[in-house]
Amino acid sequence: MNCFVKVLANKLFALAILVGVGIWLLVIPALIGGLGANPVEKLLHQSGEIAIWTLGAVLAFSPLRVLFPRSRVVGAVNRHRRVVGVSACVYGLLHFGFHVLYEGGLYGLARSLSKPFIWFGVAGLLTLVALALTSNNWSIRALGGKNWKLLHRLAYLAAALLIYHQSIAGKGHWHTARWLLFPLLVLQAARLAKMLLTKSARSSRTMSGFGAIATPP
Amino acid sequence: MPRTSFAYRTWDLPDSAATPEAYYLRRREFLRVFGLGLAAFALLPPGIRAESTALNDPLYQSYKLDGVKLTPEDLVTSYNNFYEWGLAKDEPKDQANRGWKTRPWSIEIGGLCANPRKIDVDELIQLLGQIERRNYRHRCVEAWSMVIPWDGFPLAKLVDLARPKSEAKYVKFSSFFDPANCPEQRSHDFPWPYTEGLTLPEAMNELAFIAVGLYGRPLRNQNGAPLRLVVPWKYGFKSAKSLAKIEFVAEQPKTLWNQLAPNEYGFYANVNPNVDHPRWSQNSERVIGAGFFSGKQPTLMFNGYEKQVAHLYTGMDLRKNF
Repeated sequence: MNCFVKVLANKLFALAILVGVGIWLLVIPALIGGLGANPVEKLLHQSGEIAIWTLGAVLAFSPLRVLFPRSRVVGAVNRHRRVVGVSACVYGLLHFGFHVLYEGGLYGLARSLSKPFIWFGVAGLLTLVALALTSNNWSIRALGGKNWKLLHRLAYLAAALLIYHQSIAGKGHWHTARWLLFPLLVLQAARLAKMLLTKSARSSRTMSGFGAIATPP
Repeated sequence: MPRTSFAYRTWDLPDSAATPEAYYLRRREFLRVFGLGLAAFALLPPGIRAESTALNDPLYQSYKLDGVKLTPEDLVTSYNNFYEWGLAKDEPKDQANRGWKTRPWSIEIGGLCANPRKIDVDELIQLLGQIERRNYRHRCVEAWSMVIPWDGFPLAKLVDLARPKSEAKYVKFSSFFDPANCPEQRSHDFPWPYTEGLTLPEAMNELAFIAVGLYGRPLRNQNGAPLRLVVPWKYGFKSAKSLAKIEFVAEQPKTLWNQLAPNEYGFYANVNPNVDHPRWSQNSERVIGAGFFSGKQPTLMFNGYEKQVAHLYTGMDLRKNF
């Protein structure tokens, strides 16, 4: 268990997993001809899936920490919030690149930009880019912890936009989004419930705040 | 020449080419060798399974599509939408071949017609005679396209056989419904069975086709065995697969995609580069098999079959009746 947590907390390990997913689902199939009859579409869909699930993963980290403050596994995973978040953005940008390729260049891209379905994707991705660009220590200092935290709550907005983008992407695929949306909603609801309960318990013991739980990153 | 109520175009076809019995018998042979005993079937590597003898059905010159490259057979049989067997396009070739039997298969022809019947699919094929091959463009509503050599017979032949009554204005097509053997049909995400429809004049059009084979071989399960509709001037979803029932009806039938998303999938669903799908442009299409950096090619009005079908829609607002 100790060893497992150590590996899980290792930065290089996290990076290897995040890059490895891309190698496994995008690079290797491309090399061995495993992308099927419509290779660009396959890459487009795979990169989008990786992006949205990576974003989903990072959004699950905070609620899990609130719900299981003593879990060492959750603690270890939470060390990787930044790199997981940035990865979601990178895979999102890759997805955008494949979209341009799929549409056959800039003219096709321009045409696609007239569709609300694409707006949601672009808005979500731009939000992720803003968050990725301000994910460094310098930005945290420059903005101040409180502002930075507020800014990075936009991750929830991005998630909402992108889950909607994904859910309407295919014909009849709306029901695949529930596997991502509902677990995240349940986690958030549980987190809020626990925070409120803790708060009321503490205030009844005349202790102030719940800062110890909502630790800054 | 088959006896039908409407005049065929002059076909440029040698008489010697028409041998329906041969097709029928050789398919039986194919089934005996490959269809009997699913275990044996499953043991064969895919490459060998595909190596049955081509049937050499006569290709009508009118449907040769000169200068157009056929989509390779392995792509036609490995990439398609058939939601009964999975939502991803590479799933049907796998899921539909895990023991699902498409022989024996009976099809019901009924509704408002003088000659309703329930008939075994092989008997129906024999009854209709002459199997022909047609190279048809196939345009999916998702903006990708193929060119597919189908083997089959004109839908008009089947309509003639049924002899629709004068009240019949539409033809409704229903795919199989078999939740016991088709796990996807046990979910309630879709109103199974798959249903589609045509107006009677559309069904009588020379292009409307019932395919029983592809590339000179009996239809594979994933492509809609044992028989499917092919209406090449409409988006692919109109061409219902694995038909179990064909009915003549007075009212426009409710169809699956139209019920699920009426703003996205109209009843007519004619290929039209000028009327976009709400989520993407229909003005161009990605050609399957054309390569990674091939880009897209322009989509043609009625998928290039304007000459044959445009008269069906004269005076109709195609933007409204999309």
